[in-house]
Amino acid sequence: MRTNRMTTIVAILTTAFTLTCVGVFLLLYVNLQHAAGWLQEDVKIMVYLEDRLSRDGRLQLELMLKSDHMVAGVLYISKEQALTEFRTQFPADSHLLEGLGENPLPASFVVTLAPSFRSPEGMKEWVEQVQTMGGVEKVDYNQQWISLLAEFIGYIELAAIGVGVLLSAAAVTIIGNTIRLTLFARREEIEILRSIGATGTFIRVPYFLEGAVLGACGSAVSLGILKVGFELFRQQVQFISRFSELKGLISFFPLSVCLGLILAGMVLGFTGSVVSLLRVGDGRV
Amino acid sequence: MDAMIQLIHVSKWYDRRPALSDVMIEIEKGEFVLLMGPSGSGKSTILRMLIGEERPDEGQLFVQGKNVTKLKRSEIPYLRRKVGSVFQDFRLLPKKSVFDNVALPLIVQGVSEKDIRRKVTEALRAVGVEHKRDLSPSSLSTGEQQRVCIARAIVNGPVILLADEPTGNLDSELTGEIIELFKLINARGTTVVVATHNHHVRHQVNCRVISLMQGVVLPERAMPERVGV
Repeated sequence: MRTNRMTTIVAILTTAFTLTCVGVFLLLYVNLQHAAGWLQEDVKIMVYLEDRLSRDGRLQLELMLKSDHMVAGVLYISKEQALTEFRTQFPADSHLLEGLGENPLPASFVVTLAPSFRSPEGMKEWVEQVQTMGGVEKVDYNQQWISLLAEFIGYIELAAIGVGVLLSAAAVTIIGNTIRLTLFARREEIEILRSIGATGTFIRVPYFLEGAVLGACGSAVSLGILKVGFELFRQQVQFISRFSELKGLISFFPLSVCLGLILAGMVLGFTGSVVSLLRVGDGRV
Repeated sequence: MDAMIQLIHVSKWYDRRPALSDVMIEIEKGEFVLLMGPSGSGKSTILRMLIGEERPDEGQLFVQGKNVTKLKRSEIPYLRRKVGSVFQDFRLLPKKSVFDNVALPLIVQGVSEKDIRRKVTEALRAVGVEHKRDLSPSSLSTGEQQRVCIARAIVNGPVILLADEPTGNLDSELTGEIIELFKLINARGTTVVVATHNHHVRHQVNCRVISLMQGVVLPERAMPERVGV
């Protein structure tokens, strides 16, 4: 590696930039997955009640909901509470309701489903079932939004896989070419080693190791670039007040994933040198 | 006498041109043989075949009773460990010291450091360049570089020593010194085969001469008494 210092540095940097592109997608995917999980946990189903539902009818319905094994929590919001909340959340628009005289907002139950039933399919099934119950005016939840998010994450996952495969192949080629250059520079040395009885393994192993080290270094540098970029992004997010909550939500790769990425870089580098030795050596090295 | 090297009806073609034609050679254990002939006569082809670098297109080739033509690729390094090679261009690694260059065949065989030190010192002493052990090959004279190359070839005690035009880069005085060295190595029991086109060499050593011309072995004109047997 010392003999071709410049080639080695260029190979590490090129591999690092290539793996950084993969890392950006991976980071986006990991954070969206995290956000989707967090949003799914926070999903509430609004069960709006008919205005004519009696107090007994409402209590009976509440009991039925609470005894449902799919339900984790039920919170009753009366018409008055709904009005107060509206006024708190939308103070500028509260005058809109004043002209109507009677409170137009319905009473409702805010239902949280048990974690195992929070999938879009689970929620849809439960909602369809509740909608048929007596006294229920309407059931509302952000199903479309959740489905869209799931779909979007699916696309990101596909893109991450596609870009990952493509750029991993590029990394293998880059490292392979570096090893080929090294082999070319050392062809006389290899020839001498062969003539004195060195086995193919004895000659190849240092190049395999060199490829693996190149890959690991490239991967480590790419993680450094990603970390710096990530911290800069997080700082920017902090300054924009409407996204400031995002700061706590987004996170960098955990240590295990970082180590996994370095290992992946090693495997890519090793593969690159194997491919290069098979092609250049043509079975002779 | 045991045959150390046998070429039986060996032929080789390069681009349909014959490099060797029906060559029959037998070299006995401990023998000193000169392979003589002009450039392109097939001397180097025979040496390359003996270390498994080339395969004959026809015929059989035996080294110490082992059929080299049937060796697997993975077995060839082990053949080369029994056959030391000396080259006209020395083939020394310029970035390594004399000691490290000579140690290479032992390193590839996984010999312990202690044994490497002992064997390399013995080999360098045998060729008379022990005092140059820490120098770079490029700082040595051509004669000294060839001595280092010979030390590397004999350091692991090969049964055969092959030399391809070993005196090609040397003047007549140094040629004499190198041939004397080969005689000494041969006297210790190593079979020595020297390929050369230098007719002065044949006057410096009293041994069997195999003459080649356009890939054909010429009939032996004389059988001088052998050295070292």
